[in-house]
Amino acid sequence: MVLVLALGDLHIPHRAADLPPKFKSMLVPGKIQHIICTGNLCIKEVHDYLKTICPDLHITRGEYDEETRYPETKTLTIGQFKLGLCHGHQVIPWGDLDSLAMLQRQLDVDILVTGHTHQFTAYKHEGGVVINPGSSTGAYSSITYDVNPSFVLMDIDGLRVVVYVYELIDGEVKVDKIDFKKTSSTTHSAH
Amino acid sequence: MVKKKVPDWLNSSLWSTTAPSANDPPLSRSSEDLSTPTAAPVPVTPPKPQVKDHKESRTSGISNTVNRSNNNNNGNNCNSNVAPTDDNGGSSAGPSPEDISRQAQLLTELSRKVINMRELRRIASQGIPDGAGIRSTVWKLLLGYLPPDRSIWSTELAKKRSQYKNFKDELLMNPSEITRRLEKSTVCDNDEPKSESVGMLSRSEITHGEHPLSLGKTSIWNQFFQDSEIIEQIDRDVKRTHPDMHFFSGDSPLAKSNQDALRNILIVFAKLNQGIRYVQGMNEILAPLFYVFKNDPDEEMTAGAEADTFFCFVELLSGFRDHFCQQLDNSVVGIRSTITKLSLLLKQNDEELWRHLEITTKVNPQFYAFRWITLLLTQEFNFADSLHIWDTLLSDPEGPQETLLRICCAMLILIRRRILAGDFTSILKLLQNYPPTNISHLLYVANKLRSQPSD
Repeated sequence: MVLVLALGDLHIPHRAADLPPKFKSMLVPGKIQHIICTGNLCIKEVHDYLKTICPDLHITRGEYDEETRYPETKTLTIGQFKLGLCHGHQVIPWGDLDSLAMLQRQLDVDILVTGHTHQFTAYKHEGGVVINPGSSTGAYSSITYDVNPSFVLMDIDGLRVVVYVYELIDGEVKVDKIDFKKTSSTTHSAH
Repeated sequence: MVKKKVPDWLNSSLWSTTAPSANDPPLSRSSEDLSTPTAAPVPVTPPKPQVKDHKESRTSGISNTVNRSNNNNNGNNCNSNVAPTDDNGGSSAGPSPEDISRQAQLLTELSRKVINMRELRRIASQGIPDGAGIRSTVWKLLLGYLPPDRSIWSTELAKKRSQYKNFKDELLMNPSEITRRLEKSTVCDNDEPKSESVGMLSRSEITHGEHPLSLGKTSIWNQFFQDSEIIEQIDRDVKRTHPDMHFFSGDSPLAKSNQDALRNILIVFAKLNQGIRYVQGMNEILAPLFYVFKNDPDEEMTAGAEADTFFCFVELLSGFRDHFCQQLDNSVVGIRSTITKLSLLLKQNDEELWRHLEITTKVNPQFYAFRWITLLLTQEFNFADSLHIWDTLLSDPEGPQETLLRICCAMLILIRRRILAGDFTSILKLLQNYPPTNISHLLYVANKLRSQPSD
């Protein structure tokens, strides 16, 4: 039972001042084991804040990040799942499923987490699942102003992942979930 | 006003502890053989002839059993409880006739169809021999886990064990599994439709507002995270229990499984008793119970040892629960009042010593008695000795608390000479590291305190 928080595109301080207070009250240290962040934090203070929620933090570089040393892509293995992380501005057309699927095959991961569009989406295709946690501050994107703050929490338990989607709609936190099972044929560990 | 005099028998040199004397070569040799980290109890050479035979046979008997159980502790095997008739730890004398007769008495008593509890208590209070799993059965009877009627033992055991299993299933699940089970009951489990290989993943509603970051009081996730602190504490304490014993500590699979059992018991207890949860020290009270039950030579008993230990632990703790509750510290039932009772008992029996402790040197009994009382003397003596003390503690008809106080009082009286000669620091050092002593003497004195006429 591993809890993984996926979020990104906060754009603090340029486009938003802070996370919505309702989100902040839920993000309490000690509950989450890993954080994967798609990028565009943009400043070090946000990095430090995320570190207080969970020390195991993985970030990839977004185009507005002030820290230049984050990698472009990252892969990690949590439990039985391989997760891939990328900000998404590198994948053109932005948010296009096929292009993201190409990236997923390149990285060879089961779950690909990208951002940049500031819209929550979750796609399934033959290679695996692509999740976009959206923007957790509701910052405007290069495409649209109409953005709901959202983030994603994944509960990885064996071969099963339950994805909890947290969205702030009209000032209320709405939680939905998505179930996803991995077919065991693709599990193999390095011998 | 008549000052309460110390009775003459207390003043005899019989009671003062001495360094291991050279007069007992067989016993000291066997203790060397075993190379135990814990101190073997010291055999005292009694000067008075009329008690010599009785004491000597008793001490050799007890020391034998102790050495044998030390053997067990280090032997890294759990079912090696040897019947006193076979084993001779090195060159020590064989089990005393006392021992054998007591064992025979216990066995006959246990084999009756309906056990006479008074009789059992009487024999058990003299000490239970280590062999043949007697202690395990006797303790279960004394704690009321097994009924006196033998014929219903198997049904009772089965009932209790399945009850414990249910507790574990309910309480030890993590929230992911719980949500999965909740879902299974509401939605039938259909396979992931392979046809939906491309496209948006369908979102579904969450059940009962349950999500991992929920802050609601009734949320299983929230409760889980709140409990995780207690579970961490339990985990740390379990790992630290008796680090010198292979049974409990180390990397062997045996130790790990025993630690797991201890952990499960404590977690189930904490979850079922929200008022008291887990307090540090409960692991120390649990350890001897589990050790004794797990080392039962009967296979069937060993398999159910965890469940048995749980219920016996609950029973044992029921008399002492209030000591663990911080809010009750200053109340009539709390630890402070029990310590006061001890103090009064000491005053009744040995006023000079009491005066020296309370008034002259101002040694607050809380400094030493707290650990003695809350942990039921498990930390003051080596493991085997504490098992013997527990025999008396559990079997005494007056009840464990009264007996405990008497034993503590006896502990103080036995080293009165050293206490009277000491100042605050030395007394405290002495009492917090109670010197190794002969347990049978200690229990004898404690017993004597009972028959003192009370004022």
